Amino acid sequence: MIRGLWNRETVALMLLAAYLPLALFWLWLGGTGALAQLALAVLVIGIWHLVFMLLRAQAPSLAALTTALAIAMLAPEDLGTFRLVLGVSFGVVMGELVFGGWGRNVVNPAIVALSFLGFGFPAFPWPVFDAPIAWAAIPAALIGVASGAMPAAVLAGAALVATGAVLTGLLPEQVLLAAGIVLVLLVADPVTSAATTLGRWINGALYAGLVTFFAIGWAGAAPVQIAVAAALLTSLAAPLLDEAALALWVAQRRRRHGRT
Amino acid sequence: MVTEEAAVRAPSGRSLHVTPLVREGDMVAKGEAVACMRHAPDVCFVAPIAGQVARLSLLPGRKLSEIVLFREPDGAVRQHDPDQADTTAGLRRLMQGAGLWPWLRRRPFGGMPAHDEKPSAIFVMAADTRPFAPDPRQAIAGREEDFSRGLAALLRLTEGPVIVCQQAGAPLFDRGADEGRIRTITRGARHPQASAGICIHQFFPAGLDAPVWDIHAEDTAALGTLLDNGELPMQRLVHIAGAGLRDARTVRTHPGADLRQLTQRIVLPGPHELISGSPLDGHLSRWLAPRHRQITVLPRETARRRPHWLVSALTQSAGAKPAIPTAALSKAFGGALPAAPFIRALSAGDDETAMKLGVLSLLEEDLALADYVLSETGQLTAQLRGMLGRIRTEFDA
Repeated sequence: MIRGLWNRETVALMLLAAYLPLALFWLWLGGTGALAQLALAVLVIGIWHLVFMLLRAQAPSLAALTTALAIAMLAPEDLGTFRLVLGVSFGVVMGELVFGGWGRNVVNPAIVALSFLGFGFPAFPWPVFDAPIAWAAIPAALIGVASGAMPAAVLAGAALVATGAVLTGLLPEQVLLAAGIVLVLLVADPVTSAATTLGRWINGALYAGLVTFFAIGWAGAAPVQIAVAAALLTSLAAPLLDEAALALWVAQRRRRHGRT
Repeated sequence: MVTEEAAVRAPSGRSLHVTPLVREGDMVAKGEAVACMRHAPDVCFVAPIAGQVARLSLLPGRKLSEIVLFREPDGAVRQHDPDQADTTAGLRRLMQGAGLWPWLRRRPFGGMPAHDEKPSAIFVMAADTRPFAPDPRQAIAGREEDFSRGLAALLRLTEGPVIVCQQAGAPLFDRGADEGRIRTITRGARHPQASAGICIHQFFPAGLDAPVWDIHAEDTAALGTLLDNGELPMQRLVHIAGAGLRDARTVRTHPGADLRQLTQRIVLPGPHELISGSPLDGHLSRWLAPRHRQITVLPRETARRRPHWLVSALTQSAGAKPAIPTAALSKAFGGALPAAPFIRALSAGDDETAMKLGVLSLLEEDLALADYVLSETGQLTAQLRGMLGRIRTEFDA
């Protein structure tokens, strides 16, 4: 028998390839500090994957690297080793590994880790991104969509609403840059975003809408904080969006065929 | 091309209790019944070639395994009386007695339809998008009249529509007085667009009390010929392809043909495996299965060295890995149904959600592409078979 390509690790590799431009620009501008942060995140996540492999026979995944990149890029600055290790451990174990590993998780582990760090240590400043890094999110999204690893409808839905918000002047530039990076790194995750086409459009639109809403009404919040909070709420709403889209699809078929 | 040996096998699906009508050593004519169903003696399995019964093997419970025939060069041909098809009951009797019934397949659950079942719709598959599949248009070229007659006969078996799935091109039949019940749908060229299950799911979903049949266009033309001159033609267009061959070729042969003889002169040296059906959904076999129109020859994979224990732990420690919803997975279902929720329902054993999403219209061959895309070795099809079995015992006992 013959076998195709798209198993779990191929998708993880494709996501890594998509994130490569983003990671390279970030490392180039961030220097050794950024590299050390990434190495620490990879090390901690790697250890937890090893622990779950040995204790629960759970195969590790290359998706650990994408999680590490997202956390290293978006975590609050100057946290120190201990706090970062704590946050990464909480996010990876409670967000992904206890559910059975990548592909069975309900929320993105990086979102859990970042929210944990944001709520737990509110005194530390969130990172600010320069325009070149945010521009690198565009090739990342293109590679992701071209290889089929990222849901195109999520990106399209978010782009649609964000364009409207920018044109009406509701979305400041700094928030737009951070929201673009978070969209590519966290929201356009094939596992935890909605799984139906309609659900994905709404998922993307909801994310952009929440970002706009927070940008207007949440005084004193950093752009990355706004984007991460919007990503968390969106990924919690994703199953609901899917359920609604499926109910609609089933109702349509029932009307057309009399059964499903 | 008629092979020196041929076998009569049951169509895939549930194993069937049969009563053999011949003994080893008997001479049979082409098209003569060699076995019939024990609980529905009208439904016969017929000899695809004229010859001598060489071996008759039944499984425990008198289930049909295979009946092997040796060819006799100038054997007789069984003639049926086409006049008995004037009534609907007579048409059914003729189809069942002439051995055409096993070429039909029903959904839900698959397999041959029961002898008295009335379908809600019949799909005639005049398109085949599986890799290396022969073009059904070529198979029925020059037999348009028989095809139209076959369609008209199928129309009498159902009160619903007869739906012809074809690829873009000239119409395959003469649109005459068909009461508007013969519909034509045009499908794309990419697999699984002309997979029977995907078409049925999109245009006329099967239900527990609404069975849908499907039949190949060439078999429909064969039905037309049977109604014309009383003889069921056994020829079918079969494509032989695969990586284990020197060159691919298309031959006209018959069901139950001996794959070894058909591929003997064209295989590459070295070990190989013969698959009846496409490389996606075929199975290892020596004989061409009743509904198959493809033969795939692949080089046999040599047993690899066992990897280091750490590598095994890293890659194979857990059971099945989860499917990640990608564009490739949606395309593997032709966009006909929400792929990720369906796969999740399937792997979680959630029968009710899967039924809502249309599992009753699907069979193993429709999921074979998804299995291939996800690089699984038959997990999805096995899960589907398990789920269909559960639904059958629960709702359709």
